[in-house]
Amino acid sequence: MDGGKFFGAFRACSGISDAVVLNHVPVGCSWGAGMFKTVSNQPDIRHACTVMHEREIVFGGENALKEALVRADRLYDASLLLVVAGDVPSIIGDDIEAVINSVSLKKDVVWVDAAGFQGTMRQGYESALLSLADLMKECDRIQKSVNLIGLCQDDYKAEADIKEIKRLLNGAGISVNCVISDCTSRELERAPAAELNVVIGQGYDLARHMQKEHGVPFIEVGYPYGLAGTKEFVDSICQHMDMGYDLEKDLNTEPFRKVYLNLSELYGTPVSVIGDFHAKSLADFLDRELGFEIEVLSSVEGDPDQFEQDVKGSNTTMLFGSSFEQKIARDLKIPLLRFSYPVFDQVCIYDEAPYAGIRGAVCLTEAIINAIMGFGDKLENLTMV
Amino acid sequence: MQLVQESKYVSEEDDSELRGILRNRTLTGVYQSATWQYHRYGINCKLSGSVYAASEIEGAVPLLHGPAGCAFHHRLTPMKIYAPIYDLPSTNLDENDVIYGGENKLREKINEVYQKFHPSLIVLLPTCISGLIGDDISGLCQDIRPDLPCDLVHVASEGFAHRSRESLDGLMEDTAKSWKTSRPPDYDLRGCGQEEVILSLVNQLMEEQDVVENLVNIETFGRFRYGSRKDLQEIKRIFGEMGIVVNMTIPSCTVEEIKRAPAAKLNIVTRNRKAAKRMNEKFGTDYYRKWASHYGMEGIESFFLEVASKFDLDGVAEEVIKREKDKALEDLSKYRRIFGQHDFAVSTQGFFFTPYFARIFVQDLGLPIKYFCVNTQLLRSMNTSEKTIGSMMKNLEDLFADWDFRFEMVVNPTANEMSEIAKKVDYMLSDRIMPFLCKNDSENRMMDISAISNLLFRTSFTGIVEFARHFAESLDNRHKGRMRQPIISRFAYDQINYPLIEDPRCSASRVMWQDMWSLKSAAGGD
Repeated sequence: MDGGKFFGAFRACSGISDAVVLNHVPVGCSWGAGMFKTVSNQPDIRHACTVMHEREIVFGGENALKEALVRADRLYDASLLLVVAGDVPSIIGDDIEAVINSVSLKKDVVWVDAAGFQGTMRQGYESALLSLADLMKECDRIQKSVNLIGLCQDDYKAEADIKEIKRLLNGAGISVNCVISDCTSRELERAPAAELNVVIGQGYDLARHMQKEHGVPFIEVGYPYGLAGTKEFVDSICQHMDMGYDLEKDLNTEPFRKVYLNLSELYGTPVSVIGDFHAKSLADFLDRELGFEIEVLSSVEGDPDQFEQDVKGSNTTMLFGSSFEQKIARDLKIPLLRFSYPVFDQVCIYDEAPYAGIRGAVCLTEAIINAIMGFGDKLENLTMV
Repeated sequence: MQLVQESKYVSEEDDSELRGILRNRTLTGVYQSATWQYHRYGINCKLSGSVYAASEIEGAVPLLHGPAGCAFHHRLTPMKIYAPIYDLPSTNLDENDVIYGGENKLREKINEVYQKFHPSLIVLLPTCISGLIGDDISGLCQDIRPDLPCDLVHVASEGFAHRSRESLDGLMEDTAKSWKTSRPPDYDLRGCGQEEVILSLVNQLMEEQDVVENLVNIETFGRFRYGSRKDLQEIKRIFGEMGIVVNMTIPSCTVEEIKRAPAAKLNIVTRNRKAAKRMNEKFGTDYYRKWASHYGMEGIESFFLEVASKFDLDGVAEEVIKREKDKALEDLSKYRRIFGQHDFAVSTQGFFFTPYFARIFVQDLGLPIKYFCVNTQLLRSMNTSEKTIGSMMKNLEDLFADWDFRFEMVVNPTANEMSEIAKKVDYMLSDRIMPFLCKNDSENRMMDISAISNLLFRTSFTGIVEFARHFAESLDNRHKGRMRQPIISRFAYDQINYPLIEDPRCSASRVMWQDMWSLKSAAGGD
């Protein structure tokens, strides 16, 4: 199930860690987007909303937006305000641009048109990044540096994954200039300094824009899950930057050796995977490196009912998805490994336990084996055949 | 299908009430605590209240008429964030529908939902979007009902019509008055989303019935609320002894039970007074409002006697209640002796229940209380006006004087002041988890009763006895010399809004919410 354009825009904007996100919506929309975001970072509450109410429906929401802008400008110690306008102002026709221009504020303001009914979460993300591109400035190129585009702060394991990806790229002599969108406004401003934009799953529109406006080329890569996936990720970047680096020497299979009997038993396990752009890369890892059989692979933008039907009609014995897949897993009495947004029934706070990269391949394998071994009451879940 | 099965957190076999509470506190509280604190920065959508109430009805499926994002988000309803509503179909309105209307899509979706779930009832929940584009939901329902093999109701669940700041302010103002009159407040909370569902059930689903003289309906606040099953069990038991039978509990019931609700002579309601009034108009069903004043020995007694009086069962009820109450008082006497050997401070949040909470400690449990600390930050976070908070505190003080409670009332002590107060007594009880805010000696005197105080918010004499038993054991088991250094005590906390962490971004977001909601005062919401 897709969260719609508003959620995508909110996620992109709230990734600018020193900005304040002002949602121009009824309070419930702001509540929902914020609730999913704060599961694994509870004090990171720097969003507010204009609380659109019946009065705004009748008379328009421009005054509420003006009031909120003035207050946010005064109350927050931040240099940037990001206004995300949702479904209601779009339908009632609020002129957001005019309101922003009508008030004198100390902070910079960028706004995103993000009516949920106008598109998918991914489209909201792309649209927000394009709006944020207005903040970018021309700057001197930093050799052997890249921007990572497509990530969200509230992706499960994001913090640990980014740390691991940076470690791997640093090992190859490449620095990460900016992670979009998990960066400060200053980092975003200086994003055009990178030699290359690395688009991971989403953010293509921004990359194309930056190529046109700032001359930064881009490549599209899969999410670096597994040893092979990680090698491909690093190789693609190195090749594009003409850097001779072979990750093969850093691959350590010793942790996998410790559980080789489990891995051999799990070879051929039929599984299903659903998620955003992470899903395809994860399925590749499960298939190519663990030898699992991928029964159903689906995107969150697809029909959730069809996915459920397909999974229930398959031999799936383990499910990979978001917290929302718990019901299918429960119905089928099979374990669920959460890896895709939204994950709201588990927290991830340790930034040394990624799912991405070489270390991530180990953590992911460990999590899969543990999810299976620790799953419920074995006798209760066994099928008498 | 929604919630036909009991949650994994509720064990029918688990008869220990206290263990059940502590188990729920661990397994569901880990989710809920963050959600409740998140209310400091906003309120959830009205629609989520409606989704929640609809999900409580056995055999019903809520159907959202709105964009995909609403269904995505509302699968997590704050009332039970630990149990997502996975089956939440939606019409997934897009730009085309916003321009040309979503009625055709809705018509198709209703049939599709029936084919997929074969529910007894579809609860149609419009969103802001369908409300704004002006789809004729009522007309469509009327049109489609004859051909639909299940029941269909629609609810006024559009999110933008949520409650205004004045809504809660009015309720709290009435509450402050009710403390003095001992009558439940005559005020409704509009826009929580739940009430709208119940009202729709009355208007669109309930059927005329022959009234059975000893039947009563009870409004529940959800089957997964702490202790609701035990509370209901106890009410049913005592009603049974008085000759009153519970017809149904709304909304935690089947669709057929809702239809037969008018067979009851009386509705016992807590929050949905508007629906009760409507049932009274439509079916002649009388209603009785259960309120915070019905907590504690005196409150429980008056609840049962007043309900019995509605059935002309005064004599038998007095006999039953005297027996129950005498037994509880006898059981309590040994604990009262133990409590009498110490002195206490109590810290609580200013809310509906505050005077009755104090009355339980002083009158029922016999605690010698030196300080009674009331924190009004919860009220402030819900944008109750300073004027209303002022009159609540004034009435509270007057009430305590009338009741001859000789403790010192302390309003809004800071975390440090709480520490100092804790040093002046043997024990400080708090209905919030806050021992970690205090250091060493103060921490050892601080007792977190946030979970077990649920035993006191019951219509149950035995709940008070169970609380006393556990509390007496806790006093015995205190390790006065222990030196803990919990990790959570290493953070700086907001001195006023504890247990929120001190963070300028959080503080600004909290103030933003309060300011923006305050601006809605003149919005016309009740």
